[in-house]
Amino acid sequence: MGIDALTLGFTLIFEPYNIFLILCGVLIGVIVGALPGLSSPMAVALLLPFTVGLEPIPAISMLAALYCAGTFGGSITAILINAPGAPPAVATAFDGYPMAKNGEAGRALGLAAVSSVIGGVFSLLVFLVATPLLAKVALQFKPPEYFALAIFALSMLAAISGKSSIRNLIGGGVGVLIGTAGIHLTTGVERFTFGIPEISDGIHFVPVLIGLFAMGELLTQSQTLNVTMERISSVVIKLPTMADYRKIKWTILRSCGIGTFIGILPAEGSTVAAIMGYNEAKRFSKEPEKFGSGAIEGIAGPEAANNAAAGGAMVPTLALGIPGSGTTAVILAAFIMHGLRPGPHLLNETPQFVYAIFFAMLVANLMFFAIGLGGAKLFSRITLIPRTLLWPSVFVFSMVGAYSYSSSVFDVWVMLIAGIVGFIMNRHGFGPAPLVMGLILGKLVEESLSQSMIIYDNNWFRLLESPIVVLFLVLTIVSLFWPLFRRMFARMKRGPE
Amino acid sequence: MTDRKSAEDRGRTDSATPGPLRGLIHFTDLWLTILIVIVCGWLYYVTTQFESVSALLTQNIGPEWFPRLLIWTIVVLSLLLPFEHLARSSQTDSIDKDRASRIKPISIVTAILMLAVVGMVHLFGTLGGMISVCIALPLLWGERRMKVLVPYVLIFPPTVALLFTKVLKVYFEPGLFGFGIGG
Repeated sequence: MGIDALTLGFTLIFEPYNIFLILCGVLIGVIVGALPGLSSPMAVALLLPFTVGLEPIPAISMLAALYCAGTFGGSITAILINAPGAPPAVATAFDGYPMAKNGEAGRALGLAAVSSVIGGVFSLLVFLVATPLLAKVALQFKPPEYFALAIFALSMLAAISGKSSIRNLIGGGVGVLIGTAGIHLTTGVERFTFGIPEISDGIHFVPVLIGLFAMGELLTQSQTLNVTMERISSVVIKLPTMADYRKIKWTILRSCGIGTFIGILPAEGSTVAAIMGYNEAKRFSKEPEKFGSGAIEGIAGPEAANNAAAGGAMVPTLALGIPGSGTTAVILAAFIMHGLRPGPHLLNETPQFVYAIFFAMLVANLMFFAIGLGGAKLFSRITLIPRTLLWPSVFVFSMVGAYSYSSSVFDVWVMLIAGIVGFIMNRHGFGPAPLVMGLILGKLVEESLSQSMIIYDNNWFRLLESPIVVLFLVLTIVSLFWPLFRRMFARMKRGPE
Repeated sequence: MTDRKSAEDRGRTDSATPGPLRGLIHFTDLWLTILIVIVCGWLYYVTTQFESVSALLTQNIGPEWFPRLLIWTIVVLSLLLPFEHLARSSQTDSIDKDRASRIKPISIVTAILMLAVVGMVHLFGTLGGMISVCIALPLLWGERRMKVLVPYVLIFPPTVALLFTKVLKVYFEPGLFGFGIGG
């Protein structure tokens, strides 16, 4: 890693073609982010098949740009119509919408744009420093350490912001189990193929991802057809004044730290970061009573945090091959689709990769800021697209996307079944993200565990010989019981009733 | 007292439920657990049907070892589901809200329509499938404005097909009736 790799990464990204792809990613991201129901992971999953013919760096750059822009895009509709386009923007609506109702929509959007960019750029600087360092540490990892790390990542599912820790863990387990289908690498034995030749080399990620994120949501949307979208009056973004900056500077800084840290944690994502950013902004505010009725820190806090989480989430994804969020799980699938396995070895051999993605995300942040400022009027009208045409279009893209992955109708069936099962699971509190995380990590878990067991002659206790394994296992226990601890702390804080 | 009452409320136990279990077990989740255990039992059975391999090759880590480990883990976790409501927060309560209403018929018809369209891709080709969806799904969802629907059907599916076939070089199935755009 050095200045040569940095220069190479820079030149790779600043080619007109790559800049064009990043711009496409940003535009799609802002549009998708602004449309309630469409989410960043869904958009990244739908865009995956389009990147098949691209080189890995432009492909990943486009997806990463979409990820950054999608997080910001969600704030537009959250502020204007109280309908967060994406889950990370939920907290933005708490104060953004009251501001819009008070005739300050432009100011609220300006605050969101500025906070998002600062959060995004801050986390990218951390990403630039932390990824190579983490990768260097991870170079020492052997199968037992990788197994412990993957288990830690899966255990984080218990702590993420789903509706139920147990359901998240079951979802993760099901994902890993799906990943075992196909020919067992060591023995050549077919597992869970049910005589279907297409499953012999495993169930492809892409159709499952598209099905879970896009088809599941399509069926959910079909339940709410009678809900009409509010018409939005056109707005012009207003940049924050110096007085605003003075008021929000510490909130933004705090949220940058929170968001980046939450993003770096495996499995945690922008939504958790945004909610924590909002809560901390309220806690430290001199006027907490104004929160919920249009406090500007109530916009700056979650927006800086959720965009900071996007950059933070790329750190474990690239350095360790462990997704930092639902969307980065899909981005990780894109790496695998392009024949790459992120981790210390990839970074050691091709460090320019990290720098290229850093520059791509940096450009994406600046682009969505400019686009947000210039195109607010246009993007605020996105919700006027009839849902009766929007969702059939999503289905067409899903169908064609799943098919084009390996030109197989079987994959379209996989996509559909994943969508229907995902819809039913969702109704019972099983979100798609844990299953996707499990699916992506499945191979790593099985390979590292099998290798560890062979090394240690099937003696589980010998895993504890490595201090890194012990550390990860302790962290695993903490994250598994975190929901319990959280409730205990909350109860203690409330005091005896 | 309040806690106990709310736990009972959250248990969503029917009035017909026998007394001692009321409030302790969440019956919808119990059914969910039973379903998961049945599926896991079946999958476990499938693992017993895996080809047997010599111990020399497997080094004591057979192809069935890891899937079985996972199946057991899922079963153990799912056994906790019926009791999860006892330690619920407001977030987990929303699960019951989400599934309180029945799945609307429109969702079921939408799913059937999607399955039917994919089932007919062999007959009408990928482009035919896309056009069918773009006509049927908006109509099913209540779109009646022909001046919106007709241009959408005429422009959107062919554009997507051209994008994939000409730019991304994807070969689309022309279908039995040759209705499609070749690669």
